[in-house]
Amino acid sequence: MTDLSELNQTGIHHTVDISAIVNGRKVSRRVPVHYRVIDFVREELKLTGNKEGCGAGECGTCSMFVDGELMKSCLLPVQKINGRSLETVESLDQQGTMSILQQAFHKAGSSQCGYCIPGMVMAATSLLRSNPEPTIDQIKEGLGGNICRCTGYQKILDAVELARDVINGKSDLSALEEEKAESFIGHKTRRLDTPGKVTGAIKYAADMWMPNMLHMAVHRSPHPYARIIKIDASAALAMEGVEGVITADDVPGIDNFGVFIEDQPVMARGVVRYVGEAVAAVSAETEEIAHEAAKKIVVHYEILDGVFDPFEAMRDSAPQLHDFAKNNICKHTKIRKGDVEAALLKADLVVKETYKTAAVEHAYLEPEAGLAHVEADGTVTVISPSQNLTHHRHMLAKIIAKPIHKVRMIMSTVGGGFGGKEDMIYQGMLALMTMKTRRPVRYVFTREESFVTTAKRHPFTIDYTMGLSADGKILASKLEMVADGGAYAMSSPGVMNKAAILGPGPYSIPNVWVDSIAVYTNNTPRGAFRSFGAFQSEFATESHLDLCASRLGMDPVQLRLKNLMTDGAQTHTGQQLDQVLATRCVEELIRAAGWSPGVPNRQSHNKPARNDLGQPSGVRVSCTLGANLDSPRDAA
Amino acid sequence: MLTYNSYLTPRSLPEALNVLISAKGSVVRLIAGGTDILPWARQGRAGDVHLDTLIDISSLSELRGVTLRDGRLQVGAATPIADFIRNPLLREHAPVLSRCAVWFADDQIRAQATIGGNLVNASPAGDSQPALLLHDCRATLSTLQNQKLVERQMPLSEFILGPSKTACQPNEVLVKIEMDSLKGYGCAFEKVGHRRSLVISTVCLAVAVKINWSSKKIEDFRLAIGAVGPVPTRITEIEKFLVGKAPNGKLLRDAAQMVADYVRSRSRQEYRREVLVNFVERGAVEALSRAGVSIERVAKELS
Repeated sequence: MTDLSELNQTGIHHTVDISAIVNGRKVSRRVPVHYRVIDFVREELKLTGNKEGCGAGECGTCSMFVDGELMKSCLLPVQKINGRSLETVESLDQQGTMSILQQAFHKAGSSQCGYCIPGMVMAATSLLRSNPEPTIDQIKEGLGGNICRCTGYQKILDAVELARDVINGKSDLSALEEEKAESFIGHKTRRLDTPGKVTGAIKYAADMWMPNMLHMAVHRSPHPYARIIKIDASAALAMEGVEGVITADDVPGIDNFGVFIEDQPVMARGVVRYVGEAVAAVSAETEEIAHEAAKKIVVHYEILDGVFDPFEAMRDSAPQLHDFAKNNICKHTKIRKGDVEAALLKADLVVKETYKTAAVEHAYLEPEAGLAHVEADGTVTVISPSQNLTHHRHMLAKIIAKPIHKVRMIMSTVGGGFGGKEDMIYQGMLALMTMKTRRPVRYVFTREESFVTTAKRHPFTIDYTMGLSADGKILASKLEMVADGGAYAMSSPGVMNKAAILGPGPYSIPNVWVDSIAVYTNNTPRGAFRSFGAFQSEFATESHLDLCASRLGMDPVQLRLKNLMTDGAQTHTGQQLDQVLATRCVEELIRAAGWSPGVPNRQSHNKPARNDLGQPSGVRVSCTLGANLDSPRDAA
Repeated sequence: MLTYNSYLTPRSLPEALNVLISAKGSVVRLIAGGTDILPWARQGRAGDVHLDTLIDISSLSELRGVTLRDGRLQVGAATPIADFIRNPLLREHAPVLSRCAVWFADDQIRAQATIGGNLVNASPAGDSQPALLLHDCRATLSTLQNQKLVERQMPLSEFILGPSKTACQPNEVLVKIEMDSLKGYGCAFEKVGHRRSLVISTVCLAVAVKINWSSKKIEDFRLAIGAVGPVPTRITEIEKFLVGKAPNGKLLRDAAQMVADYVRSRSRQEYRREVLVNFVERGAVEALSRAGVSIERVAKELS
């Protein structure tokens, strides 16, 4: 169908008159014919309470009522509300006070980043309107079309149950009030930002708008590794509505950024190193024109042979992706404690295994977005959900060659980050574009763009060797970890350090050897992601301990208790610990989990397999919800 | 991004067909619920798509409404999936589709998406198809010849030709789906995917059973599977095996084993086989239970 896209390359579209009742008020507007309801509400009416998280009907944060029926507004052409009534999240607190449901979300702590919350509140409102007495399973089903990435679903479910009970008179209104307590610790306190989040009042970067604002789109590399011969933006610049194009040539200062190693240009400089790397950016009067113009930028490439496997990348024959990184090694962290080889020789049992983890996308519900403008005194201001604001400011000052006091970074409400918004991958382009055009510039990623271009969790390959005594004391641990770091360093050095420091686990081990290596490849860059490398190495450690327990014929909990650090222990990197609560943690955990002691994987000892699934009194919980066709709600 | 020069909301079927026919098909698309076409026109799938015209047929009276005629249900193609849960007539006479609807996408999408849209999209994993197969449904296509409405009808097996391929011609509109009333049948719909809601089926299955109460035997048994091959299929081998027999756990276990060879998907065959066999048994037990016969599943030995 690509030929169809060539029928309109101007980005200028026909318009249509739409009249609807929006939140009780009659609205008539002329908008582009291809607008969806979400565009009409957010871009035209500037009602930004409902968000766009995916644009494909998956996340639900754009849910609105059409003639009283909840629908996903990113899947609705605007014509579908012509002559009908529409309710956005802004309709729920029109009396100036939050609805009972919104108050329940406030009470139950049901919003963290808040980006999914308008949709959650709408879906829960819809559910309680059609079924005032939903069971917990029905609540889960009713919220099934909505995704949350950071609050955690439990608190949201708690809030809906609380609202249900208050509405039905089973709980008093006072249940919505904050618990009175002397201390914040150990008590539920209401978050200060929740009212703004449950009503949609709080502004994320994509909700912001300035008069005379331009929209930015980015031309990205389709190749993982290629030399840029020439960038031809003439066709884009010739388009009506286009205001500016920038490339690496527009960078006035030192064109490098990075969390630990400043190895990445704002836009590709001479060479592209991964699919999705920014090559040029264009700004225009509308998002549609900018989008079409970005496609018209022609880049001539000389395709190079890339390298996609970190082990291959370390060979002498591999392409060298960065001049300063011999054998493409971005970071090599080592821990050497005691004599591992000697200890392994003395060990009663040596267990070797290789563990691999995958690259993971953060999928925060808010795609990257930013708004930049130049103030009257020449100060360049960039508003974005940056997780590393001060560092970004310093890097940006160098890039745009301005003194630090002429660079301002404002952190907008972050709609989920998990480490994925620590990298300054688009703020530089916004700053350059606003400097070039002298107009405010906004840039909003699509969900796909966010997936393709932003850093992922490092995939690790971990070769593990552990030596133990027959009674289960760990004598030596050796972890050889190689991580695919992708095209640029981003947070790789820090991730390698933390993977190394925490990798051997909270166990007293006299002999430890760790190699933690991040390698440049032509894959999407890898960066910070919750737990920052420790997730991967500790996954290997804990898996390995289970394996060792089965080889030793030991209960895996006992194996851990035998080796856990205790008060006064020293970490593998020499930090003196005062108090260590690890043992108590494990004891509490196994109590809460109802752990039945035993040796895992008993087949290896010629014992019959554990028949967990056949045990009649087991604690198995169905992993799917029942279909509640015969519920009161359905019958209604 | 999906863009278009015009978006038409015709007031009658002939008006819609006139636009469709005069446009010669290539850059015109019909839209009903819109829940498939908008996500399709995005990066990674079709990319940017620009059409000349979108024709919204979701409000055409010819495509709306549900009636019962001579034991057959006439369901307008633009009937939203949600109606199969909330419309009492559909709940009574199309119980398999009602059970299917509960598992279909999520609340919001069920309110938008239509039964006809799910059918013309012809996804190998389309959830409504196994259920429709049990209802022995026939698709009614409409076009204009000399400004006169002309209809043709065909069974679902002839309508769905393969993944995303149907017998619907560029000058035709799917207007109606005619199907057996399965009033009095016990029904079940089973589905598994990565999560409960808004998920494409890895395996799905529909079962309907009718009991002859004088003989206590199975009078009619209908079974269809989806997402495990290029098109959803009725499993007549199992249907024939069960009809006329008195149901018991052993019989259902034997019947379930017969389904394994029908898995012809391109991926995860072994997993699908195991799930499908269990689904047939569980679905049959559930459908029988809704029909009023309680069967205990034969215990399984885990290997």
